[in-house]
Amino acid sequence: MDAPPPPTPGTNGAVLRVDGLRVAYDHARGAVHAVDDVSFSLRPHERFGLAGESGSGKSTMALAILRMIKPPGRIEGGEVWLEDISLSQLAPEAMRRLRLAGIAMVPQGSMNSLNPVLRIRDQIGDALADHGGKLARRELAARVGSLLGQVGLAPEMGGKYPHELSGGMKQRACIAIAICLRPKVIIADEPTSALDVVVQRQVMQTLGRVQADLGAAVILVGHDMGLMAQFVDRLGIMYAGRLVEVAPIHDIIAAPRHPYTRLLIDSLPSLEHKGGLRGIPGLAPLLRDLPPGCAFHPRCPAAEARCRVEKPAVRPMGPGATVACHLA
Amino acid sequence: MQLIYVVRRFGVFLLIVWLAATLNFFLPKLSGQDPVRTKLLEEASLGGYVHAGIEDMVKVYQKKFGLDKPLWRQYLNYVADVAHGNLNYSIANYPRTVAGMIRDAMPWTIGLLGLTTVFSFVAGTILGALLAWPGAPRWMRWLMPPLWALHAIPFFLLGLVLMYLFAFQFQFLPIFGGYSAGASPGLTWTFVLDVLRHAVLPALSIVLVSVGGWALAMRGMMVTTMGEDYVTFAEAKGLRSATIFTRYCIRNAILPQTTGLALALGQILSGAVLVEVVFGYPGIGALLFQAIEENDFFLIQGIVFTVIVALGFATFLLDILYPWLDPRISYRRG
Amino acid sequence: MLRYLRRNTSLAVGLVLLGILVVFMVGGAFTIDTSNAQPLSVPALLPPSWDYPFGTDREGRDLLAVMVAGTPLTLWIGFVAGFIGVGVGAVLAFTAAYYGGMVDTLIRSIADVGLTIPGLLVLIIIAVSLKGSLTVNQMAIVVASLAWLNPTRTIRSQVLTLRERGYVEIARLNGMSGPEIIVRELMPNLLPYLAATLVSSVSAAILASVGLEVLGLGPVDSPTLGMTLYWVFFNAAIINGWWWWWTAPLVVIVMVFLGLFFLTVGLDEIANPRLRRIA
Repeated sequence: MDAPPPPTPGTNGAVLRVDGLRVAYDHARGAVHAVDDVSFSLRPHERFGLAGESGSGKSTMALAILRMIKPPGRIEGGEVWLEDISLSQLAPEAMRRLRLAGIAMVPQGSMNSLNPVLRIRDQIGDALADHGGKLARRELAARVGSLLGQVGLAPEMGGKYPHELSGGMKQRACIAIAICLRPKVIIADEPTSALDVVVQRQVMQTLGRVQADLGAAVILVGHDMGLMAQFVDRLGIMYAGRLVEVAPIHDIIAAPRHPYTRLLIDSLPSLEHKGGLRGIPGLAPLLRDLPPGCAFHPRCPAAEARCRVEKPAVRPMGPGATVACHLA
Repeated sequence: MQLIYVVRRFGVFLLIVWLAATLNFFLPKLSGQDPVRTKLLEEASLGGYVHAGIEDMVKVYQKKFGLDKPLWRQYLNYVADVAHGNLNYSIANYPRTVAGMIRDAMPWTIGLLGLTTVFSFVAGTILGALLAWPGAPRWMRWLMPPLWALHAIPFFLLGLVLMYLFAFQFQFLPIFGGYSAGASPGLTWTFVLDVLRHAVLPALSIVLVSVGGWALAMRGMMVTTMGEDYVTFAEAKGLRSATIFTRYCIRNAILPQTTGLALALGQILSGAVLVEVVFGYPGIGALLFQAIEENDFFLIQGIVFTVIVALGFATFLLDILYPWLDPRISYRRG
Repeated sequence: MLRYLRRNTSLAVGLVLLGILVVFMVGGAFTIDTSNAQPLSVPALLPPSWDYPFGTDREGRDLLAVMVAGTPLTLWIGFVAGFIGVGVGAVLAFTAAYYGGMVDTLIRSIADVGLTIPGLLVLIIIAVSLKGSLTVNQMAIVVASLAWLNPTRTIRSQVLTLRERGYVEIARLNGMSGPEIIVRELMPNLLPYLAATLVSSVSAAILASVGLEVLGLGPVDSPTLGMTLYWVFFNAAIINGWWWWWTAPLVVIVMVFLGLFFLTVGLDEIANPRLRRIA
């Protein structure tokens, strides 16, 4: 095999660039690749969606970008660039300072992401303190109040404990924490799971608003295609650890190139055409038991002989679009 | 703090006290033995012969101890007495009162037990937390196996071994008693030092065994806590390692650990009783042993009751402390 | 199975320790004359030698015979009390957890209050009342009387966790009756946990019985491990330097507790796969 080309330094104007990222988990019977050679760029102010089924590797990807993969997992290869900084070259302490200040994560707030024994304002406060010095009490209160206001929460919420807040409020508190240091990139990992539709909308509106205020870029990780369609500029589809298609959102919905994408979009129920629900036959493969060739071929309606033996390479398809399929 | 919560918990405490007293009263009656007669017969047979008038003696003493009245009256008298702190006279050491003997022995036990428990809990918890933390020094791992092995055995067995070692091999620590024979009790420095020297081995028996237990438990809680979502988010927030360790991990893992303490109090006390017996340490345990040997029924009853009340009270205190640690506990729900 | 033992070191260590004890007991039963465990059988106070590998005590007991005869007795008390404890505890726990409401509150309160009271002390009261007339079996019953408290609590919380799981709801919707759900759906998932609780309970029962015996409240005529230690204290054997008298029971007791402890940890690992280390 030829040696891989030397990595291009920097991001060429993009705010975040992921290049050939590979994350492996060591297992009794060999390594499993949760993220397999994924590359994409994030432009400033852009909203990028990362969609896929459970086990497709999207959450692992978010952790990998933040360099938070723990044993038995490890980052096997690839580069991540935040503007001019190569994250893989950073010392642990420098990476720590970059988290929240450069790249911030918004976790699933309605679950267990907030420390149950600390008040909300203290959970914002300790982030501020560990990133550059404690604030005086009054200044802290003012900062917290303004942050909570930005996400639509009353300032009194700062004094409450997480169990006193509803799911939507907790999610917005998480957003407040994520933006407190004005990051350049926000990674939102399934921010609306377990929330009802009305609250979902509120949360997504809040997210959009703070993103615009900050001028940050957002990566929205999830599996709700309808949500993606309403929020993102570009969408990436992950399957079995690989990024099988990336395209601007309107293009991908109107003319999906990868058969998996096509099936995903077809499965969305539509108000106009009434009919039976259509799913995708079969199950997503276990990462440790991947079929040879293209990982999707057992479920693909258009699979050919070539698909069964040869893994398709990722090919550019136009500005900001790629696809990994022999038939595209 | 909501008053109703405190009141409810106190109510539980009173319930325990009542239950203890009742059990204490009825259980022995089940065997049909009469402590006074038994004791008198024992004393008499030691003297060599049992004379005819012993039944009269029994009757007189029964009257004195109130044992000739109907059962329900005895029970009410008993409860009333206990409520007043009157735990009756010691049969074997008459005319000393049970309450008096217990009062003499209590400070020794509270001192030994109180200090060793607090120390073991704190040291063990800190050790356990460090053992779970990947950033801790590696040599600490070597402490685990001996602590594990030690904590599975009862306190008094370790006491046995220590006693042997210090009696015959390293003879610089006293192995018996609370203070040297002939020493005059008082708040002099020499006496205090003497007391401390005598307390070292019993204390070591308890501490060496307990620390392992607390460390293991805390390590387990920490491992669970470290896997929680809020710890992952704490790291994603770019918090310092020390901050995550203390404010996110320990602060949460300490909650079930404290519950564990409340539950373990009874066991710790049971173990300490046996340690005192081994070392002849003049606390409640040794007193109990002596009472059992002498068949001194009222003393046994009195000790058991006092201990149960003391433990109930300690549990009550911990119950009050708990909501302060964990804001999720609603005072209203009690 | 062997491969699993290599990964689950605790389980392996526990089984080895207990296995040694079993071999000792069984082998001893066939080779040693256990009547020598009674007083006045052999010359007194002899240190270990070829004739008497564990030495003899002051009352003329052959300590090897005492160990061979006494270890099974102590273990027997522990097992009987432990089994009764877990049996009663499991029944109460399932009832409380499954039926909920008043039943649950009642059972839970009794168990909680009972646990606050130090068991040994209550046992002392009971044992003192029966003093002098205890056989080994009665001893087991006495210990068992309190042995159900802890298992009730722990099994109940485990059942409550499982009850929330989906398959119980589905079973109920499918028309299964209460007891049927308990036996067919909950039990199989609880078995590893019940096993760990059982071993734990046996260990606690042995501890309680040894504690009582050391205080002199046990079956006085039986050569159980705890009673042997009682005679050790009674005769001030430590001060007198008759080290062999207490070394033998000490080693055996330590082996019992360590063995049971490692077994519990090993079973815990089976019951809670999260604790398993990655291979």
